[in-house]
Amino acid sequence: MARAADFAGLGGKESSHRVRVLTGILAAGILAFLGLGLDGSGLLSKGDGAVLVREFFVAALQPALDYESGGYLPADAPPFLLKVAKGLWGTLVYAIAAISLSFVFGMLLGVLASESFWATRGKAWGVVRWSIRISLTAMRSIHELLWALLLLAALGLSPAAAVLAIFIPYTGTLAKVFSEMLDESDPRPSYALSQIGASQSRVFLFARLPRTLPDIAAYTFYRFECAVRSSAVLGFFGFTTVGLYLKQSFENLHYHEVWTYLYALILVVLVLEAWSAQLRRRFVV
Amino acid sequence: MLQISGWIALGLIALAWIFSDIDFADLFSARRMDNFSRFAERALPDPLRQPGDGASLGAWVTEQMNLYGWRGMGATLGISVIAIVLAGGIGSILGAFGARNLMSAHPFVPHATAGHGACNHALDHVAQAVRILCILLRAIPEYIWAYLLLAMLGSSAWPAILALAIHNSGILGRLGGETIENLPSEPLRAMSMAGATRKEITIAGVFPMALGRYLLYFFYRFETCVREATVLGMLGIVSLGYYISESRAHDQYDELIFLVILGGVLVMFADILSDLARRWLRRSV
Repeated sequence: MARAADFAGLGGKESSHRVRVLTGILAAGILAFLGLGLDGSGLLSKGDGAVLVREFFVAALQPALDYESGGYLPADAPPFLLKVAKGLWGTLVYAIAAISLSFVFGMLLGVLASESFWATRGKAWGVVRWSIRISLTAMRSIHELLWALLLLAALGLSPAAAVLAIFIPYTGTLAKVFSEMLDESDPRPSYALSQIGASQSRVFLFARLPRTLPDIAAYTFYRFECAVRSSAVLGFFGFTTVGLYLKQSFENLHYHEVWTYLYALILVVLVLEAWSAQLRRRFVV
Repeated sequence: MLQISGWIALGLIALAWIFSDIDFADLFSARRMDNFSRFAERALPDPLRQPGDGASLGAWVTEQMNLYGWRGMGATLGISVIAIVLAGGIGSILGAFGARNLMSAHPFVPHATAGHGACNHALDHVAQAVRILCILLRAIPEYIWAYLLLAMLGSSAWPAILALAIHNSGILGRLGGETIENLPSEPLRAMSMAGATRKEITIAGVFPMALGRYLLYFFYRFETCVREATVLGMLGIVSLGYYISESRAHDQYDELIFLVILGGVLVMFADILSDLARRWLRRSV
């Protein structure tokens, strides 16, 4: 069978390959569907759910600009829009604090985890490199919310715990990606510098590192956008971010308020997106 | 622009650290340490707490796996497979409709050589709208989508599947669109000039050419799906996260840590799987 495809020439072989990959993926999907014992009825909302769906999506057209009536409101509650701004600022603070720490440690560990940094040093150093790589994998394999859960259980609710929960997995990811970027960067400038007698660490510092800095900056910015989302979700665990207020409003059935928070979050992501697109254009040129 | 961005970034970092309640010293206060020692006591697996009973640790692990481990891991994997297959399908459609070179009056023919009527504003607007839709889909974190959908659809695996599918459709839609815009345009332009319709070009030219790259993104997102599917369970959907939040609620920290590590192992497994798939793709498709 395979021979027939071979005779059909390159095109035939390639397309049979594609068909096999796509069939495999589809089969995995169907298998998972059957394995979970799913059926379509779970996709339709019934009874109260259906009412909720209608009310919720109608509210999308009218995001709240002030508190919705009917809920309990403490006497010293700030104006609604100020509360939204406070939630956004809280979200940004955790994300900024975590990503700035992650950047510093990610650079450090990324360099130490890269092959090119250890290239001319003894084989024995491989142990150091691999132990760092393994710890980085462990750090990023555990989701930030699970880190948050562990920290909450161990230490209780504290703003520093939120920063730490984002910091740990993000450092793991940044360091891994940085090390790959360093290893994959164009080696020619490094050769040139070492040919004229620069020491290994100088070559790394003045040839390899500067070449990858734009990529490193762009990737950090992308991860910052992810950190904003993670920080927003941490609100569900009691930290004062958008997620906390969104959850409270949803529980009080104040859907107009929920949409204000959602739009605010989308706005932040849009602004960051536009900013990073501008930057990337500068970098590429 | 670069300089201004740098200063804004530095300013935000300074603001976040100075004008916030983040205090790492607080994590080491007496009260927290007290909390921590209580946590550490219960974090040790149950059989290890009685001295001289290390042999039953294996039995404890087997019991944990049979009670929650296998079921949680299976459900997590199933949810993420269905979600990524859905997202892959929707994302490819969004990607095609969002690609500006495909969505023009003469696909892949530069405006200057296409002559009169080359600028079709309706198609331009469609592409623009699809790109904005992609941003909206991915701006809201999976966890918030799942939280909202759970209230609407009731308890089943669907809210988690849909939440992951929605968020990842946005991401794959954007990446798919970029892939199409970066395709070598000569063969596609030839099809276009020979009179092929947009549908024909898409099915016979664009999709086969873009598939390899798109699948790279697909497997990369599969890995993040597994990571997210683990924590979505904490909302009350049966994946690993559900058992994790249950053990947290019952203060069974040994169970909690065991299941968190199990989630980490699952993510590492998905990481290796997607890495293998991508390596294989680079060579063959």
